[in-house]
Amino acid sequence: MTDTAATIAESTVKAVHIDGLAVMKIVKHCQDSLPSMVTGSLLGMMLDDDGILEITHAFPFPEQKDNGGDKNMDGHEYQLEMMKMLREVNVDNNCVGWYQSMLTGSYSTSTLVENQQGYQTDLSPNAVVLLYDPQQTNKGNLVLRAYRLSRECMELLSTQQKNVFLSPSKFFEEIPVYMKNNGLTTAMLYELSQRSNVDHFNCDFEQFNLDKDSYIEKNLELMCNWVDDLANEQYKFQYYVRQQKKQQQNEGEDSGSAPRRLESLLINHQIRQYCDQMEKSSSGSFGKLFLANNLQKGSGK
Amino acid sequence: MAAPTHHHSNPALSLVESSSPNVSVSVHPLVLLSVLDHHTRRQEPNGRVIGTLLGKREGNNVTITNCFAVPHAERGDEVAIGKDFNRQMLSLHLLASKHETVVGWYGTALPDDATSGEAQQAGNTTNDAKYLTITDTSSLIHEFYSGECEDPIHLVVDTSMESNGVPVRAYHSLPLTVKGMALANVFHEVRCSVVASDPERIVVHNMIQNASVDKAEQISIRESNQNGLDLTVSVEKLLGMLEKASSFVDGVIANKGKSGDMDEDEVHEVGRKLADTLSGVPSIREEDFESMFNENMQDMLMVSYLSNLTKTQLTIAEKLNASLSV
Repeated sequence: MTDTAATIAESTVKAVHIDGLAVMKIVKHCQDSLPSMVTGSLLGMMLDDDGILEITHAFPFPEQKDNGGDKNMDGHEYQLEMMKMLREVNVDNNCVGWYQSMLTGSYSTSTLVENQQGYQTDLSPNAVVLLYDPQQTNKGNLVLRAYRLSRECMELLSTQQKNVFLSPSKFFEEIPVYMKNNGLTTAMLYELSQRSNVDHFNCDFEQFNLDKDSYIEKNLELMCNWVDDLANEQYKFQYYVRQQKKQQQNEGEDSGSAPRRLESLLINHQIRQYCDQMEKSSSGSFGKLFLANNLQKGSGK
Repeated sequence: MAAPTHHHSNPALSLVESSSPNVSVSVHPLVLLSVLDHHTRRQEPNGRVIGTLLGKREGNNVTITNCFAVPHAERGDEVAIGKDFNRQMLSLHLLASKHETVVGWYGTALPDDATSGEAQQAGNTTNDAKYLTITDTSSLIHEFYSGECEDPIHLVVDTSMESNGVPVRAYHSLPLTVKGMALANVFHEVRCSVVASDPERIVVHNMIQNASVDKAEQISIRESNQNGLDLTVSVEKLLGMLEKASSFVDGVIANKGKSGDMDEDEVHEVGRKLADTLSGVPSIREEDFESMFNENMQDMLMVSYLSNLTKTQLTIAEKLNASLSV
């Protein structure tokens, strides 16, 4: 457990500056591994004065092999080995967090919370998790977000009480992510943007794609599933309360332990995320529908 | 080793092209970024860096999707490569991504020792030094990689900044024969293009936009998302393009078929392309379009209503919980 005095002394991270190279590596890894979700490690440095966390490199974790293949390396061993090799070519050797791909914005799970808690206690309170959504990015927007567990959340998790309540919106803190590149890379980008096939990298008009229905359908489907999960959690609570009453009537001992509240709070948070996403995309679709309408009316004359 | 030019003047001297006639190389932007990053981190300020290229080889097309750096040292005509490092790193990479194989190696520009020595004696800065993209040691390194894979591709990223950009070239080695006897090997340039999958394109697009903005005004990725979702920016850009096209057409009509320094064929070509684009607007019968429009509107409204309802429900639950647990 980290020393509380040290935690207060260290400045909290307010922004994440990530190199274009690290973004590309994350994007490539997550894209290649669709439809499964993957994780990897982030390397970089924390600049204490400005509260900026710099991420300069990223590498993927190998897939978990259950039966053990030829090279059955433990994830931790792989990480150490990789960092040692990267040190030899002068890459920053500091692990500052981890990344994960999320499908259509689903990230509020207890595994993520546990992993992030592990990172924030063992590594540094400023460890971040970078979430990349490969499906939303296909529609013309780069969706890459950085989150940490808020301080209240960390405190409550460490007390190990099961029935403590924390408002779901206070679980995660989002940190703004800025993309940076060094001078040489900027020169190359200039060259790429000036070449003859200049439109290859121009994504200004991806927005006009009218085919957003599949995205909304996916969102609705996921939301239905999660609402079912929430209903299940409620049943568990009701069952527990009924058991308690019965035990009291029979003057027996305490019944089994209460179910965890964390799950339902996380589900709550996730459903809210889906609602936000759907609202954004449906409001965009309204605009596009009216544009198409006017275009039709105009060309009909 | 022969210099990187080839002659066809003497018929006895010919390049054997039958093994790989039209090799073409596609590079993903990740590789270029990685090479530049490695170059920026190099130990010697006047040296170059090398590394291994990973990708896929399908007949005559080689796609390079990934790469990693390899430590090396070269002095004069000798070169030492970290072979163990290469093997170890390769096995780590293959654990993470199974579909990639070694397809070649990359190198950046190397300052020519002879000229840079003179330049320093004359008191000039290293800016006057000449840079070589293919050196004598390159062929030695290429030989090493020939042992790792078949017909390795040598990618050169020219970091000398002699031209105002960072050109990328690819080479592979062909044997040079004299009357049927193989004499030496020559680095033969092959076609190289930068390709990217859709998400990679979007990342590069973001980077290009960020590069043209002042440091103080940089916006976070989240904000650029919201700007992207906001249609006004895209619509304004489209409007700008339409205005340009329309003023071009007006100019052509006014000048009776000519426009500035474009010859007639080009003007006709542009005109044809404009006509094609405009006829691409689908013409649907009014009733059909009305019904499609209304259906979509209803779907969107329902989705929006449902999400608001759900959010209200969640907020109520939260408030109840908060008030009860204190």
